[in-house]
Amino acid sequence: MKRELIYMDAKSSKFWNIDQVGNSYTVKYGRIGTEGQSLTKSFPSEEAATKDAVLLIKEKLGKGYVDAAASGASAGSAATAPDGLIPLIAFSSINHREEIGQNVGTFIGKRVTDYDPEKPVKTDVVYRFRSDWETNEVIPSLEKYLTTNEALTTTAIVFGAWHGDAWHGDDPEQTAEVVVDALVKGKDRLPQLAALYIGDITSEENEMSWIKQCDLSPLFKAFPKLQLLRARGGDGLQLTVPQHANLRALALETGGMDVGIIRSICTSDFPNLEYLELWLGTEEYGAGYTVADLQPLLSGKLFPKLKYLGLRTCQLADELAGVLVNSPLLQRIETLDLSLGVLTDEGARALLLLPLNTTLKKLNLHYNYISADMIRQLKALPLTVDASKPSNMDEEDESRFVAVGE
Amino acid sequence: MVLAPEEAAKAIRAGRSLGSVHVSGRLDLSSFAGKNLPAGLHCYELDARGAALVGLPDDLRIDGRLVLNDCRNLKSLPAGLTAGSISLRDCTALTALPENINTWFLDLTGCNRFEHWPKAGTIHNGSLILRNCINVRELPPWIERLAHLDLAGCVGLREIPNGLAVSSWVDIGGTGISSLPPSMAGASLRWRRVPVSERIAFHPEQLTAQETLAERNAEIRRVMIERMGYLRFSQEAGAKLLDEDRDSGGARQLLQIELLQDEPLVGLSCVCPSTGRQYFLRVPPKMTTCHQAAAWMAGYDDPSLYRPQIET
Repeated sequence: MKRELIYMDAKSSKFWNIDQVGNSYTVKYGRIGTEGQSLTKSFPSEEAATKDAVLLIKEKLGKGYVDAAASGASAGSAATAPDGLIPLIAFSSINHREEIGQNVGTFIGKRVTDYDPEKPVKTDVVYRFRSDWETNEVIPSLEKYLTTNEALTTTAIVFGAWHGDAWHGDDPEQTAEVVVDALVKGKDRLPQLAALYIGDITSEENEMSWIKQCDLSPLFKAFPKLQLLRARGGDGLQLTVPQHANLRALALETGGMDVGIIRSICTSDFPNLEYLELWLGTEEYGAGYTVADLQPLLSGKLFPKLKYLGLRTCQLADELAGVLVNSPLLQRIETLDLSLGVLTDEGARALLLLPLNTTLKKLNLHYNYISADMIRQLKALPLTVDASKPSNMDEEDESRFVAVGE
Repeated sequence: MVLAPEEAAKAIRAGRSLGSVHVSGRLDLSSFAGKNLPAGLHCYELDARGAALVGLPDDLRIDGRLVLNDCRNLKSLPAGLTAGSISLRDCTALTALPENINTWFLDLTGCNRFEHWPKAGTIHNGSLILRNCINVRELPPWIERLAHLDLAGCVGLREIPNGLAVSSWVDIGGTGISSLPPSMAGASLRWRRVPVSERIAFHPEQLTAQETLAERNAEIRRVMIERMGYLRFSQEAGAKLLDEDRDSGGARQLLQIELLQDEPLVGLSCVCPSTGRQYFLRVPPKMTTCHQAAAWMAGYDDPSLYRPQIET
């Protein structure tokens, strides 16, 4: 028995391979791109070895590992496959609530590091550009980076805070437009750009609801090879021309999603979209949607290639769950992610009616208000279910909050 | 022709005919003064709340939401009306839904004259909200599976047809429904938005004042009291007598019952002079005398002004 698994989130990208021959197995694990470590274990019989290996694999799958081959990634090499396609698992970033408060350590499976114009350029990392206390530039050194030869082969960039002078109190209204404009202006220097994260900003730097976003759709036109667009912040966020022939993943992290964004997504033209992650949020942070606003999406008429649907931080997760189980879309996706929202036993009870014997394999319900008994029932479903809770989750309080919101 | 929502709204409000147009976003025609809309309209979303519309054009096409809340003159809708969601709150002139209506979410809250269902239609997957549709006497047999079914305040409803199922909840508050059909087995029950057990919903005669007083959730406790009936509850709960006197019906008592983490329940127990039946009428908890409570019910804040010649 042989199995190759990988795991990626905002902090790490790891592989875990197991190879069982006769009464022993060898496990090889480590960071993707490295050799890793290996460990061999022997058992009195082949049966005992198989039994133990099966248990280990189940445990890894429960933690969010996926089959490397099925995900399009390979354990030995860096995240992008030879055809340039980013593996599906590399589109996800924040898996658990704790990660919301930290800057990303990895992006599309590669290590993220702040760009330093004084140091030689590396090609095996993703560079992050952001304002800091020392510089007054809004996006320090981006122009310099664009003049390097390495820019021409860059596949991914992360943008952190773009405040510049705002850090000194001069312009708190600075929007992401400075980032979008700089990228559009430099598009000829970034012909291979495939993945963008605009807003790797922790709450310590700027609360999610305070981040000033802008119309991000000029990026679609400027970067025809873009596969992933991830953005944080809902204030001012717009997608006025939601069209891209090759976009495979869209992830919008907001404290409260304006219904206009949902409308843009439901009228979009993203024929190759495989991954859609929306942080719907709460009314207090500007969300004005009802579950009915999601109907065009749930009708299953959009996004024929969709494999992952994330409707996260949803205040109305219970109500949404009741409708989702009736949605034709659930007949053809692989992962449903309702994590980080206010999901209680009421929504969980509806999820027990999820259509089975379909393509659906995974259910992410991390951070929830579901009782232990109901979690047991969910885990009995023939799906990989993550119903974990942060250790400091307050379930006694009568008020229930989504993971982003006070 | 594709038109931006603002341009289309401007043209329609100005009464210009547009021919065949596709409006790409949300067409805002709220409070529109016209009686109908031009033909040839296709939009993603139409919001005409508070409009003077009497009907809609037969060829109207909506992809997402159709909002017609507070269209008080709206009398009919076109056959085959299809939209992701249709909201018809407080369309008080509407008596019927059109043949072959097709939607996931239908909200008829406050449509108090609505009573006629079409022979065929598709309302599925989402929510059917019939709050306070007091003229609805039955549900049609063609509704199959919904997420939510809100029948609260449908006082004329006695049963739910077998075949209808919900993936989440059904709200039967204030209806005459006394059981669920087999197709709804396992559905969560609500009584005017409060999640309740089957016993509270369907077997109120089994409830005791003791268990009601012991219920820690104030919302559920209020529903239990409502289901038991104030009179039986006050008799069984050992109410404290605050005041008593006589009116034309006979003896009258002001009773108080302390409730956990809630204001005390105070009510006037009296006998109707015409029918001889006993009633318990809830009043604000600050009331101290029977006369004051009776005056409050008649609309007098100052009891000294309430001097009825006869109470009938």
